[in-house]
Amino acid sequence: MILLKQVKIIDPNSPHNGKVVDVLIQRGKIVKISKRITNKKAESWKLDNAYLSPGFMDIGTQVGDPGFEHKEDLSSATAAAAAGGFTAIACTPNTHPVVDAKAEVLYIRNYAQDSLVDLYPIGAVSKDCKGKEITEIYDMQKAGAVAFSDGHHSIDNSGLMMRSLLYVKPFNGVIINQPLDPDTSHGGEMHEGAVSTSLGMKGIPALAEELMLQRDLYLLEYTNSRLHVANVSCSNSVHLIRQAKKNGLQVTASVNPMNFIFDDTALTGFDTHLKVMPPLREKEDIKALKKGLKDGTIDSICSNHTPEDEEGKKLEFVYAKPGVIALETTLATCRTYLEKTLTIEELVIKLAIAPRQLLGLDMPVIAEGNEANLCLFNPDKEWILCEKDLHSKSRNTPFMGKQLKGKVLATFNNGKASKQF
Amino acid sequence: MQLSTKHLLGIKYITREDIQLILDTATQFKEVINRPIKKVPSLRDVTVANLFFENSTRTRISFELAEKRLSADTVNFSASSSSVKKGETLLDTVNNILSMKVDMVVMRHPAPGAHVFLSHHIDANIINAGDGTHEHPTQALLDAYSMREAVGDLEGKNIAIFGDILHSRVALSNIFCLRKLGANVRVCGPPTLIPRHIESLGVSVSYDVKKTLQWCDVANVLRIQLERQDVKYFPSLREYTQHFGINKHLLDSLKKDIVIMHPGPINRGVELTSDVADSKQSIILQQVENGVAVRMAVLYLLAEQRQV
Repeated sequence: MILLKQVKIIDPNSPHNGKVVDVLIQRGKIVKISKRITNKKAESWKLDNAYLSPGFMDIGTQVGDPGFEHKEDLSSATAAAAAGGFTAIACTPNTHPVVDAKAEVLYIRNYAQDSLVDLYPIGAVSKDCKGKEITEIYDMQKAGAVAFSDGHHSIDNSGLMMRSLLYVKPFNGVIINQPLDPDTSHGGEMHEGAVSTSLGMKGIPALAEELMLQRDLYLLEYTNSRLHVANVSCSNSVHLIRQAKKNGLQVTASVNPMNFIFDDTALTGFDTHLKVMPPLREKEDIKALKKGLKDGTIDSICSNHTPEDEEGKKLEFVYAKPGVIALETTLATCRTYLEKTLTIEELVIKLAIAPRQLLGLDMPVIAEGNEANLCLFNPDKEWILCEKDLHSKSRNTPFMGKQLKGKVLATFNNGKASKQF
Repeated sequence: MQLSTKHLLGIKYITREDIQLILDTATQFKEVINRPIKKVPSLRDVTVANLFFENSTRTRISFELAEKRLSADTVNFSASSSSVKKGETLLDTVNNILSMKVDMVVMRHPAPGAHVFLSHHIDANIINAGDGTHEHPTQALLDAYSMREAVGDLEGKNIAIFGDILHSRVALSNIFCLRKLGANVRVCGPPTLIPRHIESLGVSVSYDVKKTLQWCDVANVLRIQLERQDVKYFPSLREYTQHFGINKHLLDSLKKDIVIMHPGPINRGVELTSDVADSKQSIILQQVENGVAVRMAVLYLLAEQRQV
């Protein structure tokens, strides 16, 4: 039994939203919410500036398991998620073997049974994520896959993209695509612009993202299906999505912190911890992404958690693998770099509400009698990221040793609690 | 006078004063290598490792001669005979060599920024002898030196760079160097071989060879690097030569005599015809000679940084 003293509720679906209350949690349930609760049997937590929201959900986590357990496995990924306030993650199919059939979906679902963190597999659209043959999508959906995507492989084949959008319609499914045209971005390692020119590096033009996104939106209109655009990075993409929403298309979008924190000028020192996909764009793009977050064009914020070991990162820039780990730092980086863009409630919507909404999952609501699916955090606490804060097996983060603002204090779900203070 | 840096990672990372110091020092070494006894003892306590992870003939020989004429001890390493093929990382390879007490590293490597990466992890002085499509600073310095010899102070001079700008570290280092020395730079080639954002480096772009030749005082003609092209950027060498090649007829039609340069190796009959490459206007062989003097200057000035 845990008694949370004087926490501010941030949950737009809760009758207590915006109020400072005591919350009593017993056997995984919220048993009482009241101005003052006294219960001598309960372990009482009285924490400074504590906020309570529904647990966050991440769409597109790389869990590395099966196949890349030296970088991450389900145990370390869920521990990292819980430490970062996430009570649910939807994992990309880019494992080895790829999640392209019922058996792989069930492998992840089985692990989830004992976990604080709900694990939702995203099934592959094509066999081996190779972009050719469509997978057994109905079978995977029945086994528990919540969406379909080739993960960090963009779906290049227009026919396949069209057929998958059509195929998921009977169950109102969502196709997730991270748009990047492979031909115009061929060989690129970073954003194409003045910086890549000066570094002599082949660029990935913003055009490569826009071209495929434009195509996806045409196909979406044609099929009248549902599309989620993962990891938007360019200003013009935000514009295209805004327009598509205006036209009534069922499209949602996400952005990850790296793309609204850093621009390509950060790469002049060839720091491989800043090598990410989609690449760091320009200042104008960051501005547009923030505007898109504010006006709702971009529905959610995802971590784009991509564990890589030292062997993949301590290398010449062009040989290094892209990606950063981010589950543990997403709340903090959002608070640090979006403080002037999003209110705390808006941030909770991007992190906890919108991801579940767009996948059509059950929404946890902070109310008496409901399951305790919660994130307790201090949005203003300043702290320095160090080794002990990381539960991921990998260490590829540019924020190590950096001061951040906003810290997760605890996470509750499935009758379990993870404490970070 | 001293350099502002302990490495030569690229022209981007050094100042105009550094460039001038190197060029002035090179003048003294040029005098040395034209003496009957071409050797000075300046670097006799210094060991230099020449690490070539990419093929090179002239740059490697030029560095080796520069080192020998400064009396340095040298060791050579090339990727084909190395442990790179066994999967060793760059950092491990270099650290192994440095454990044998090497003071300076001259390195050529296919990855842009490899030297910057290395400089974060090792103590020895590093000289970039070419990193992929990024920089080739000693080439830019010897080019600037040769231009200065041919046309005097480069401030306000018009320098044109012809050919494959997209895949060329020579172009990039030349641009940085010439802009720092106050020259006007124009690049000229087929649009598919010119980086989209090249103007952000302070250069102008032209697709017209004749007009650009007419504009410039010096034409630095680059090699068409077919080996770096993973897709076809132009349909055939024949068409390239017809539209972007420089021949005697074209030069003679200009109203002035311009200086012709080429970093080598020349594809004769592709970017330059033989009668241009071997003409009086060409200073291609002087560039090679100056290369040794300029590299001696770089080695000497960086070695000086070590002792302080």
